[in-house]
Amino acid sequence: MNIASGIVFQVLQSVLVVLIAPLMLGWVNQCRAWLQNKSGAGIWQPYKVLNKLFHKDAVLAHNASHLFRSTPYILFGCMWLAVGIVPVLATSLPFAPAADVIALVGLFALARVFVSLAAMDIGTSFGTLGARREMMIGFLAEPAMLMTLFTASLISHSTSLATIVETLGHRELVIYPSMAFAAVAFLMVLLAENARIPIDNPSTHLELTMIHEAMILEYSARHLALVEWASSLKLTAYITIGIAIFVPWGIAQAGDWTGMLIAIAVLVVKLTLAGAGLALLETVSAKMRIFRAPEFLGTAFMLATLGMLTHFLLER
Amino acid sequence: MADLALLNALRAGAHGSVDADAGPRPSDLTLRLGRSGDLPAAAAVLLGPRAMALATVVATDETATPDGDLKVRYVFEPTAPGAPDRFVTLLVSVDAARPEVPSLTTAVPAANWHEREMRDLFGIVPVGHPDPRPLVVHDGWPQGVYPLRKAFDGSRRVPVEPAVEFPHLVAKGEGVFEIPVGPIHAGIIEPGHFRFTSVGETVLHLDARLFYTHRGLEKRMEGRSPLDAFYVAERICGVCSAAHGLGYCEALEQIAGVDAPPRARLIRSIALELERLYNHVGDVGNICAGASFHYGTATGLRLKERLQQMNERLAGNRFLRGLVVPGGVRLDLPDDLLGVLAATLEDTRAGLDSLMGRIEDNPSVVDRFDDTGVLRRQAALDLAVAGVAARASGVDRDARRDHPHGAFSGPTPPDLHVVTAPDGDAMARVTVRAAEARESIRLIGEFVRRLGPGPLRVALAEPLPGGRIGISAIESARGEAVHWLRTDAGGRVERYHLRSPSYHNWPAVALAAETAIVPDFPLVNKSFELCYSCTDR
Repeated sequence: MNIASGIVFQVLQSVLVVLIAPLMLGWVNQCRAWLQNKSGAGIWQPYKVLNKLFHKDAVLAHNASHLFRSTPYILFGCMWLAVGIVPVLATSLPFAPAADVIALVGLFALARVFVSLAAMDIGTSFGTLGARREMMIGFLAEPAMLMTLFTASLISHSTSLATIVETLGHRELVIYPSMAFAAVAFLMVLLAENARIPIDNPSTHLELTMIHEAMILEYSARHLALVEWASSLKLTAYITIGIAIFVPWGIAQAGDWTGMLIAIAVLVVKLTLAGAGLALLETVSAKMRIFRAPEFLGTAFMLATLGMLTHFLLER
Repeated sequence: MADLALLNALRAGAHGSVDADAGPRPSDLTLRLGRSGDLPAAAAVLLGPRAMALATVVATDETATPDGDLKVRYVFEPTAPGAPDRFVTLLVSVDAARPEVPSLTTAVPAANWHEREMRDLFGIVPVGHPDPRPLVVHDGWPQGVYPLRKAFDGSRRVPVEPAVEFPHLVAKGEGVFEIPVGPIHAGIIEPGHFRFTSVGETVLHLDARLFYTHRGLEKRMEGRSPLDAFYVAERICGVCSAAHGLGYCEALEQIAGVDAPPRARLIRSIALELERLYNHVGDVGNICAGASFHYGTATGLRLKERLQQMNERLAGNRFLRGLVVPGGVRLDLPDDLLGVLAATLEDTRAGLDSLMGRIEDNPSVVDRFDDTGVLRRQAALDLAVAGVAARASGVDRDARRDHPHGAFSGPTPPDLHVVTAPDGDAMARVTVRAAEARESIRLIGEFVRRLGPGPLRVALAEPLPGGRIGISAIESARGEAVHWLRTDAGGRVERYHLRSPSYHNWPAVALAAETAIVPDFPLVNKSFELCYSCTDR
């Protein structure tokens, strides 16, 4: 493989995903509005919000430390790196060998730790409230996420995402029962990790009910813009991880320009469907009582474990 | 005779004199206690054996009259369903030089805020009250300045004194957190400060501080023509405009000795039910917002909007203001609007049935509503909780039946089905609201059928009779609101007092919140859906 074209593909994918992440969020929000019989703000609204926030003056609490100020950049960096690792458009990217699925989960955990610390840095009660709830969700979601990814890696005998995608995407259509369990578990983790209903409500103004939003209440202007952008990147990263593992068909090899064009078209279709599905899930359900979240994530972990067991029982 | 037995019971427990008079209305009773020290014993007789509840407490400054004193009236009402419409007033005289009355709060929890308000606004000290903190006046209000005393000039600014931080009741200990919320909130709601003390997510205690929107409206009305003061009463609260306007008008009409014509009474009741309907439908949607059930929130908003647009066609504004006026109603309900009204109500019924179906068939929503924010029946009775909150806790009280007003005060009142539920949780408050909304739709149909030709209002001659008291109790969307109005010798407003349903229900919210976890508080709060403006005045 040509190193140069690999780098071109890597840059292309990273830039493309960063640019379309807000669009993904806009699409989900638009679908939600339609499902609630509203006309909605349009799919470009997140870009307008980002533009507005970047043009505002940032307000910082008097006792904000460097941690609070640097967290948005760390968060954004983590999420950008994550989408660089995931084979969104092509496999065999130069970044891919740098990190496997375990490192990917670690990357998300790193971002979580910084956001939680920044939330407590200011010393407001809402920040601490959100941080402790986020930690409760996080320590339950991460093992479930890892188990899901391990189920996939058992089939491909590798924890590298690129290898998983190549193994699953370039075989004849085989139905893996273990992957069905893993897919459900992954969906549950996706909802929890991205602060979506039924675990959290990304569009609420009720501070006492917030998890993720409570942690970022004190951010404004460019800091908030980065945090919001990182949120949409995280959502896109999770959805593309899901696509890469569970519906990998159409992802190109680096260097294959025709494949790349097809990959982009296929990706758009998959993301459109995924966004509409997410909006539907969020509309038919209310947010659950916070103490139901451990049950929800415990179920996700159990399903992922069942997936692994199924693999050993049926697929070896 | 029941009165004689009551009088004997009161005299048996009293050390001073007890005199009985009829009034304010012919069916009511006013008991004048010679010694204010007899108050707790007298209240115990009314509350215990006679199962009455505190309806309101009205203090008046009569230092400029020959009596030269302050007076406090404790108004009680019967609680048994089907009891006659009657208020019993305990009247005590308070020495202006040493303004003290014994506190009833420990025996009658519903008197708590009334007594603190009396202390703040009149300087009448409830001796033995367990809570020494101010209620209505906030940090910086000067000591010894009592705004509802006649000597206080409401047009002058008072100096702001340096203030210490308000002593919130908070728990201390390892792992105990304090969460201050408000008074300014995200979202478009009124101001109130909530101080939670929590361990983890469990609420240990909630200290709610209100009265940020105290505008001194009762003071503002004093000395005005009662016909002008009506516009202030109607504007105490936006979403209770029709109910408060009607309550003031009925009190005023008692003083003037006139009755609104039958057609006007029907239109008044239609306005009252339309107000209840848009509030209840909107509240069901709002409660869904507390559980993050977006479909429900959006549907509730849509149905409410349709009803408020209907209001605009009826009254010229979305809050039904100016429809009810002293003596009758200002606008007629023309026949061409009746079709629009019927169509809107039919759509609302269909929309509400569909929404309630989606709520009740959705396990994730039911799980949030069930057992959340439980208000026990005894607590509801102790705090004299009103309206939906009371009925959802199994208290069968509705002012439309217990104190007939509007179209219910005619010779053949329509049947009213009072909906109650035993559970006292958020789910009960949602289902009671939905059932009441359906009942309102049925009632409006019934009122429209009864509409006959006739005058819309009777003229009220000014000046109105002096020195008279009018009292009315209106079932607003949030429950019974008690209006108390008295004219001075010149027929002007001498004192007006509104005890809104929210005033009695706020302490119940704090109580219900203590059975819930912190992230469920917005849901608990929305399931009561109380007004701040009505409470703060």
